[in-house]
Amino acid sequence: MASTVVSTPEQGAKPRTRVEYLRFNAFHRWMHFLVFVSFTVLVFTGMPLKYKDTEWAGWVMDAIGGVTAAGVYHRIAAIITVAYWLAEVTFMIVSIVRHRGRGVFGPGSMMFNKKDLRDIAGMFAWFFGKGAKPQFDRYTYWEKFDFTSLVLGTVIIGTTGFMMWFPLETTKVAPGIILNIALVIHSNEALLAMGVIFIFVHFFSAHIKPESFPLDKVIFTGSLPVEHYKAERPLEYARRVREGTLDEVLVERRITWRTYVADVLWWTFTAVAGVSALLMSAFIIWSVFD
Amino acid sequence: MRGRADASAPRRRTRPPGLVLLLALALALGVGAATCAPVAIALSPGAQECAKCHNAENPGTISVAGETKPLAVDLEAYEASLHGKLDCTGCHIGFEPGPHTAKQTEGWLQTAKLEACRNCHADQFTMYESSFHGTLVFDEGSTEAPVCADCHTAHNIVAPDSPEFRRGILDLCARCHGGRGETFLDSYHGKAFLLGDEETATCPDCHGGHEILPESDPASLISDENRIATCAKCHPGANTNFAGFMVHLNPQDPRDSFTVWLFWLAYVLLIAAVFTFGGVHTAMYIYRGIKDGLYGRKHS
Repeated sequence: MASTVVSTPEQGAKPRTRVEYLRFNAFHRWMHFLVFVSFTVLVFTGMPLKYKDTEWAGWVMDAIGGVTAAGVYHRIAAIITVAYWLAEVTFMIVSIVRHRGRGVFGPGSMMFNKKDLRDIAGMFAWFFGKGAKPQFDRYTYWEKFDFTSLVLGTVIIGTTGFMMWFPLETTKVAPGIILNIALVIHSNEALLAMGVIFIFVHFFSAHIKPESFPLDKVIFTGSLPVEHYKAERPLEYARRVREGTLDEVLVERRITWRTYVADVLWWTFTAVAGVSALLMSAFIIWSVFD
Repeated sequence: MRGRADASAPRRRTRPPGLVLLLALALALGVGAATCAPVAIALSPGAQECAKCHNAENPGTISVAGETKPLAVDLEAYEASLHGKLDCTGCHIGFEPGPHTAKQTEGWLQTAKLEACRNCHADQFTMYESSFHGTLVFDEGSTEAPVCADCHTAHNIVAPDSPEFRRGILDLCARCHGGRGETFLDSYHGKAFLLGDEETATCPDCHGGHEILPESDPASLISDENRIATCAKCHPGANTNFAGFMVHLNPQDPRDSFTVWLFWLAYVLLIAAVFTFGGVHTAMYIYRGIKDGLYGRKHS
């Protein structure tokens, strides 16, 4: 622990610095921010339509200014979604080309590989107290699922959404029943995505699981203390030590008053998102049992 | 100070007459309102005659075709309705002051709720006569099918394009067409309608009002011949495919569309599978985390 904090007590005027592990670059962080904002808007302007005959649907619609206004916000968020999706896919293609296709299925990749299957089995063994918790590389299987389901789910929900946004253009090339199908897919894909993000996978992995509780700030700050990361993703750390690439991801982070202000901001962000997610989840669970 | 007082002097001279006028007007209105209050409802002279008995102080009832109806009429609501300035006998044809004789009251419900409307609304009546509902009433003697007053009411008639009427239309149709009402509410039009959109299409926008005919009738607004034009009222440029969208389709019923039902079923199974796996994984992770004392442990 002491090795990561480089304090200079004899020169009190100098800011404190700390060597940290850079997990997410500025691009990753911006992508997450855009998903964060657009996804929340989409859920709150869309879900009341799915559960239109509940009391809370009326409350939410009244709070955001009525169904017509909600339609406008939903479409703005949809455009943001298209923008971040295109940026992310471009980023992936550029990364693959730049590395000449090396490592696409490697241990540090977002792509699923055989180790993920072993990890699932290993985690369940650990759950039942039969073995140690598996060690992970850069991404765990649930993080890969989270990411992949978002990238692919966006294609599904986006396509069906644009079909319903432009019904005249859609029916120029397809029969009318495609609009019926689009609504079924869009509405259920939305519920699936909301469950994955708000309850079962994303919020759990970022806030509720013991390693992250109560908040994993790394998607906002980009870096985290080296020892922390080494404990969480020992395989990536070991791999970088072995390959001699550890220096590429070590950054010297200045701890100033701005660091603490930013921390308050991330906590506020997360609290708002967390309360929203809990509220919407509670609303939907209420509808199911009503 | 002096200068300002001088400057404002001429203005002050003009003010009192205006103020006096305003006060006098207010007084006149106040006195008028106070003295006129009991008869503030401006009914026609003929209607005032009827209101002597048919008012809120008369709790009596009358049995008409097995239905118990109040003798009292909500005069305020009637006065505020579109017909508020008409004589009661405009619809209750042949009624005279004093206790009504059997000759006068014979069949009055049918007359007042249906035939009387023709005297002013001949065009609408002709449309209604040859409509699906009109045919049921006139040709088959149905007592269930709606007559004018079933949709427009008797004493609270409002404009059919008013938000008040448009809000209530779905309940009117759902009295007989409940299932169609459910599937409508599941469509985008229905969802928007329920959540307060005043503009969105409801039953009569597609099916018509007085001229409602079954889909199989070529003259129907939703027949193969007319459906595209009906959609195009709100969606200019609608084509055959567009009009092929099934507004009243229930995705959960394979008899409506097997294809749509398959998509619905696939998603139900997918959601169930993902949520079950996610739920078990999450619960077990938390359980093991607590058991192994991982919560609250310093990470670095």
